[in-house]
Amino acid sequence: MKIPGFGRTGQIKLKSAHVAVAGLGGLGSPASIYLAAAGVGRITIIDYERIERSNLNRQVLHWEPDVGQSKVKSASEKLRAINSSIKFDGIFVKITSENVDQLIKGADVVVDGTDNYQTRYLLNETCVRNRIPFVHGAVEGLVGQVMTILPNKGPCLKCAIPKEPPEKPLLQVLGATPGVIGCLQAMEAIKLITGLGKPLVGRMLIFNGMDMTFEEINVKRDPSCRICGKRGR
Amino acid sequence: MAVVVKFFASFRDAVGKGQESVEGVKNVASLLDELVRKFGEKLAEHLYHSGTREIRKTVNILVNGRVLNLSHELETSLKDGDIVAIFPPVSGG
Repeated sequence: MKIPGFGRTGQIKLKSAHVAVAGLGGLGSPASIYLAAAGVGRITIIDYERIERSNLNRQVLHWEPDVGQSKVKSASEKLRAINSSIKFDGIFVKITSENVDQLIKGADVVVDGTDNYQTRYLLNETCVRNRIPFVHGAVEGLVGQVMTILPNKGPCLKCAIPKEPPEKPLLQVLGATPGVIGCLQAMEAIKLITGLGKPLVGRMLIFNGMDMTFEEINVKRDPSCRICGKRGR
Repeated sequence: MAVVVKFFASFRDAVGKGQESVEGVKNVASLLDELVRKFGEKLAEHLYHSGTREIRKTVNILVNGRVLNLSHELETSLKDGDIVAIFPPVSGG
């Protein structure tokens, strides 16, 4: 790839890298497609759900004939067809406090493709504890947010969003919104692996599709954070 | 100099702009009062549960990058040049 600062060295770094994508929905679909296409050598994909028709507007790894199938199986087939040289670990399981350490073990980066804060906080805590970079993303309607957590180098997800926002049972998402955010998460993961550019550390990027703006919120590390602050470690 | 308030996502839609400078407010609570006075009911609906002054759990407020605990930090003092960000974290994936 002839991007300045990338080159053959960057491609080799990608090939020897391992990324875990937690969740294969609206965010995990585009993120894993671009990670596979970029040539990340090993990708672990984790999800415990089966595909429903209502998923198809945004979960672009899953197609009409896949309805009823597990997301892991559907995603594995598509991703292997995109790049056959990649090693894929498809894990059909719900992420819990009991299995999370094992699931992301050895990953160089974890990408947040989940749809709830309970799992996000679990991944955030585990990544901070194991010093693994974590690329957070979330969406609703035409709005999305992205932030990269580099353990010990910036705030964690709990510093930015200390309390879980209330769940919305009928969450509406325009399919293109997680398309934008999932691609940004893949880009952050690729940048972290190759050392390219400046990651979204200490900066929450907010995308608003209504007026097509990207804006940043500066976020500081909370010294009293129970996850990454002095009290928590 | 004044306090600069930045509105994100639905708050930006509610007030119709991304930023507002506010003078003469001593703390976050008085800033929110002033913002509701300025931008009216639509902002109040986004900030508070209907008919109350209880801040919704969907609201995050940061002062100079530090997230406030809204259950007991609304009296946080503000000074000229402070940057206050108001945003509603989203949760889907």
